[in-house]
Amino acid sequence: MRTSLSQKKGPTGRLNARGRGATNPFEEFKSFTYAKADFHIPLDQIVQSTEVVMDQIRHGYEKLLEEEAKELVWMVQYNTIIKAYEVAEKYVREIDYSAEDIEDFCFALENTQKIPYLIPGPAGVYISALCNYAKEEEISLKLSELKTEINLIGFRLPKGKRLVIEGDAGDFTGIGLEGGELVVEGNAKNWTGAGMRGGKILIRKNIGLHTGEWMMGGEIYVGGRVRGLGNIVEGKVFERDKLVYPGKIHHPNLYY
Amino acid sequence: MIGEIWPRLRKKHLYPEIPMPKAEEFTGAVGAEAEQNEGVGLEMKQKQMTVNSTFLFRMKDKMPAEKVIEALLDHGISHYTFCPWDFHTHLMLYAEAKKVMGDKELAKQAANYFIDVIADTHCVKKRMTEIPELHRCLSKGRVEEVIASLYQRIWGIDLGIPHSEGSAKGHDEVVRRLARIPYLDRSRWPGSIQKFARSLKPLLTVEQKEKESKGGKGNSNPQGEHDLNHYSYDEIDQGLRDYAKKTMALAEFREVVEDFSDDLKETGYGTEGGMGRGRGAPIDADVLFYMKLAENYSIPLKKVPLEEKGSLNPHSHSPWEIGSPFQDVDIWTSFGKILPGVTQIWKKKEGKGRGKIEKTPDCLIAIDSSGSMINPRKSLSYAVLGAACAANAYLLNDSKVAIYNFSDAPMGGKDILSYTNRKDEIYRVLCKYFGGGTALDLEDLVPLIQGKKNLDLFIITDMKITNLEALIGFFGQIQNRITAVHIGDNPYAARFEKAVEKKRNINIFAVKKKEDIPHIVLGRIGEYFNPTHKGR
Repeated sequence: MRTSLSQKKGPTGRLNARGRGATNPFEEFKSFTYAKADFHIPLDQIVQSTEVVMDQIRHGYEKLLEEEAKELVWMVQYNTIIKAYEVAEKYVREIDYSAEDIEDFCFALENTQKIPYLIPGPAGVYISALCNYAKEEEISLKLSELKTEINLIGFRLPKGKRLVIEGDAGDFTGIGLEGGELVVEGNAKNWTGAGMRGGKILIRKNIGLHTGEWMMGGEIYVGGRVRGLGNIVEGKVFERDKLVYPGKIHHPNLYY
Repeated sequence: MIGEIWPRLRKKHLYPEIPMPKAEEFTGAVGAEAEQNEGVGLEMKQKQMTVNSTFLFRMKDKMPAEKVIEALLDHGISHYTFCPWDFHTHLMLYAEAKKVMGDKELAKQAANYFIDVIADTHCVKKRMTEIPELHRCLSKGRVEEVIASLYQRIWGIDLGIPHSEGSAKGHDEVVRRLARIPYLDRSRWPGSIQKFARSLKPLLTVEQKEKESKGGKGNSNPQGEHDLNHYSYDEIDQGLRDYAKKTMALAEFREVVEDFSDDLKETGYGTEGGMGRGRGAPIDADVLFYMKLAENYSIPLKKVPLEEKGSLNPHSHSPWEIGSPFQDVDIWTSFGKILPGVTQIWKKKEGKGRGKIEKTPDCLIAIDSSGSMINPRKSLSYAVLGAACAANAYLLNDSKVAIYNFSDAPMGGKDILSYTNRKDEIYRVLCKYFGGGTALDLEDLVPLIQGKKNLDLFIITDMKITNLEALIGFFGQIQNRITAVHIGDNPYAARFEKAVEKKRNINIFAVKKKEDIPHIVLGRIGEYFNPTHKGR
């Protein structure tokens, strides 16, 4: 019996149903030949290169934290901002990225699996450096779904650059602006435009205290309300198209 | 024609478990819409795909019918074999889209587009398909044009959409953003759909406004709509169960269920045997959340031997009469003869005593819903979850469950449900929250216990009960199996433990972290009810 069965086996070892009246349950697969049906599409390349760039951006940010926020504490002082920006510049210059990469990085900051620490100060300085060194003249960041408000965004935005933030911005927005145009399609917190030398800041909604502190030039337009002005040296501040600085009466940090 | 194509398609998609598609003529897409758009080409209900013959007729000048059918079916099969794959994934994608869009309809649209992009891209990458050709031939609205531009970019196939200079001008930025999404990486879908929705939001918002101005009528999706018709009742049930377990967040679950409530009702969900309260009644998402979450846990219940054995045993002899059954004849005392007056038959009686027949007793669940407990309708209450798991265990063993939900019971803060196997009623009472003080009215418990010799008691509370001494005294008098679960350590719990430590029928479980209730307590209940589990 064993012999006769082995005689009925085909070359692949399958039972030959002929003469036994039984049907092969795998008959349907008889003609099936496995071929690796995986076509290369441009998406593969796009996703791969995006990942590489994001890794480089992440690496730069981690290096910045290593150098400037060793104890995960970072005090906002003139010197610390300048130094952090210099470090950020060093890493950012080496990366070939686009505006979309900056936006992706902003969202990656909230994902603890990707980036272990979000320290708003250095993160803001780093994002500002990314914006300032980006190829594009106009950068639009859709950050309205971001849970964290990023501080120091728009720091030293140079002339010829336009940065549009969809969503709210944190403290120290657009400080030290160097002739660029910063648009925030939401609210901005305290110390906006502090020390700015030129350019334009447009805040669609409300703005916090110390607006334009030590401002040396440029213009700040506020679509909503200005909660308080800082000690402005030179420049203009508009509240709902009305010039509030320079004005007849100057009330620093007046609560409206 | 489908009959000829189908074997080839099955082979191409590695033999999916899908019935042979049908061709039918759909109604709808008439008048102006029919002129602008080809209408719906494919309908999917549960696993049955149906190709619209009207759609094929409208496409006849643009593309051969065979190719149209193949492209539509490739797309449909990809939904089953890759994305969304199951109802849980569909819900998850929708919930993530809703976080960005904020609006129910916009979130559904974003999720649908995302699902379609993934299904088509998967198909284009993995199989030889006519999907690109179909997209080239279809009429396109504003969003469809952007999606087609996206396909051009990520597939590297010309679909006839002009680059930047043409009608998609202005959407280049959107397409660039969309093209960076790793569509085929399943593990990143939650983040990917958020990015997808964020990029498409302005376009979808404009389209929705236009749709509203037209009186709510927009173009239908030629590749089929993605509603709950795709899924069977069991798939929806499983999806909700998985989603509840994965999120463990009441508010998120409630939001999703409320958004899909019409679809859920349409599929017959929540109207019978489930949690609904009759046809047309709103779905109670909170109750459904605990119901589905509790179904993820199971407690082994040791059945107790009951006194009544239930079988008939030979008890005494009686004389045989003509017509009496022969099988009851005792041949030894009848001397092997069948004669009236000589022959004796066995008289049988139902057996008594602890026999082999076992049954699960009914259970009275007392749940504390005073102010010190979490409101189950605001956030996840592990007390309710624990009680729900216990209730499920009894119901699955064909027993009945009574609920005594109490806060300040003597002042009216109570809800009593007598013994029932209606799950919806049980969950409704379990989820009730009174707040305020904690006191039991033992008079309420007496009628629930009286006359029930075999009854289990399950009480879940933080033990901060005003009349704790009375409760201890009451438990001291009864012999039923009692499982007491107290949350956290407090002097009241210590007092209760000390007072009943010698009572062998009372088992106390302290849960220091509320989150441990479904895990620790239920495991120990298993040990208690089933001694063979000890030491595991």
